[in-house]
Amino acid sequence: MSSNWTPVALSQDVLPGMAIPAHLQDQDLVVWRSATGRIAAWHDRCPHRGMRLSHGFVRGEFLSCIYHGWRYGEDGQCRKIPAHPELAPPAAIKVPRFAVCESAGVVWVAPEGETSEPVDLPGFRGFRSVAVNAAADQVARDVAGQGHLGGCDVVMLVQPLPGGDCGLHVLVADGCADAQLDALSHAIEALRRRLEQGVAA
Amino acid sequence: MSVTMQDHWYPVALASGLRRSARDTLLLGRAIRVALDDGGAPVVTAEGRALPVQVKFGHVWTTLGVPAGDVFDIPEADQPGRRLVEVGSVKVRCSPLRAVENFLDIAHFPFVHTDVLGSEPHTEVERYEVEIRDDVDEVWATKVKFFQPQAARSAQGGITTEYMYRVPGPTCSVLYKTCPPRPGEWDVITLFVQPLTETTCEVWPWMALFDDDSTMTEMIHFQQLIFLQDRSILENQLPALLPLDPGREIPTRADMLSIAYRRWLKRHGYTFGAQLVAA
Amino acid sequence: MTERFIISGRLDGSLLPWIDGHARRIGVAVDFGPRSDSAMELRVDGPPALLDAMEMGCLLGPIDVWIEDIRREPV
Repeated sequence: MSSNWTPVALSQDVLPGMAIPAHLQDQDLVVWRSATGRIAAWHDRCPHRGMRLSHGFVRGEFLSCIYHGWRYGEDGQCRKIPAHPELAPPAAIKVPRFAVCESAGVVWVAPEGETSEPVDLPGFRGFRSVAVNAAADQVARDVAGQGHLGGCDVVMLVQPLPGGDCGLHVLVADGCADAQLDALSHAIEALRRRLEQGVAA
Repeated sequence: MSVTMQDHWYPVALASGLRRSARDTLLLGRAIRVALDDGGAPVVTAEGRALPVQVKFGHVWTTLGVPAGDVFDIPEADQPGRRLVEVGSVKVRCSPLRAVENFLDIAHFPFVHTDVLGSEPHTEVERYEVEIRDDVDEVWATKVKFFQPQAARSAQGGITTEYMYRVPGPTCSVLYKTCPPRPGEWDVITLFVQPLTETTCEVWPWMALFDDDSTMTEMIHFQQLIFLQDRSILENQLPALLPLDPGREIPTRADMLSIAYRRWLKRHGYTFGAQLVAA
Repeated sequence: MTERFIISGRLDGSLLPWIDGHARRIGVAVDFGPRSDSAMELRVDGPPALLDAMEMGCLLGPIDVWIEDIRREPV
């Protein structure tokens, strides 16, 4: 994939009020969705004492760190430090952010300031993400050109993960029947096993 | 620099938990073996060489170096009427120094120990006092106050609990807290941390409480619950080693005791489990 | 609010850029005053809680510097 954007999760896996860990190459991220549905991708580290923000909690439009409750707004800026309630935190205290975008039911992330858009995948929507215990480049080679799985038209996106694993995000064509989606689920599991055993897909 | 950390006593087992079969474990990265001799007394060896042993607070303590004295004292532990609670150990994938620093922190009570040691909106941490007592070479915090909905099993309803904290050794910490059934006395809760490697440790909580109502099991479970909540924090802090240069961190006045602990570690060169340059 | 910080200990050149970086991280303004190997003066401007935070950070400082004491005075 020559785009600057990396698929890190499916939109349906980050419900409003959820925060999950994700990865962009070797960087740890927190991807979270506010109560009104706004998606964000930040460095997975609270500026206070380094606690992972992916363990934090979402309230309304804010993400708070689980350790001491430091609260951050959509722009990554600290809005409240509960131990010192009288302090209006300065703009300087903020969490570094990534560019984030949702399309085709996939959450895409790029370095902050990215101006392009992710690859367009009209007619497809995110269906399932699985972690594969195999190298990303090998998996990408194995699934290249494979547009059909379990009786459905699919697009498969491969995301490198730290430690040599990879994420496989499977998008399915709109209009695929429920019965076929069941077959697709099974086929994805079988594909994952084959990829992990090093057998060509 | 971290050699000086060897000249201290560290907990390596519960005296009551030892059996004839040996317990193989680590201390400051070195393999040690803890067992009982024929007379039933604990022995600790490293590569076959016998190490000094002391039994105190129900735990077996040993050292890889030459400590200046015996294991530190907690006079309150000898008061009649106290329940002495051995909790056993919990292994944690974190720096032994981080385990201690977390034990010294109160601003996390409403968020990590919600509705047990603290709750929103009572989150403010008022100014408290901290000193490094040079005569005993220990870090102390006094006049620490926090409002708690259920501060101890013996508490009824919410109270403002007063605390004192004490660091008598690089990986040990003692906290003294207001004791509801005995105003004027302090409940004593300790965390004795066995440093296995720079990023793993075994934590041995121990308590000396005035509590005539709770069963031993209830007291143990309460402390275990609290610690398991802390463990999920400890295993997810970055960087893994405790930074002695704050680097990108932003300590506030509520973190005064943690800063004093890090300064004390820095002054003594206690760097096993610490990161020296900025993260 | 503006205060004067008088920092004493075993200081060296790494302290100035470190203080500068920390001040920017927490959003306070810093003006450097007279300094030697054992003492340094700063003017720090910001809300009280951030002046406290500045003191906390400076008490540790970079690894090669030992801060013995920080005295704070209103300006």
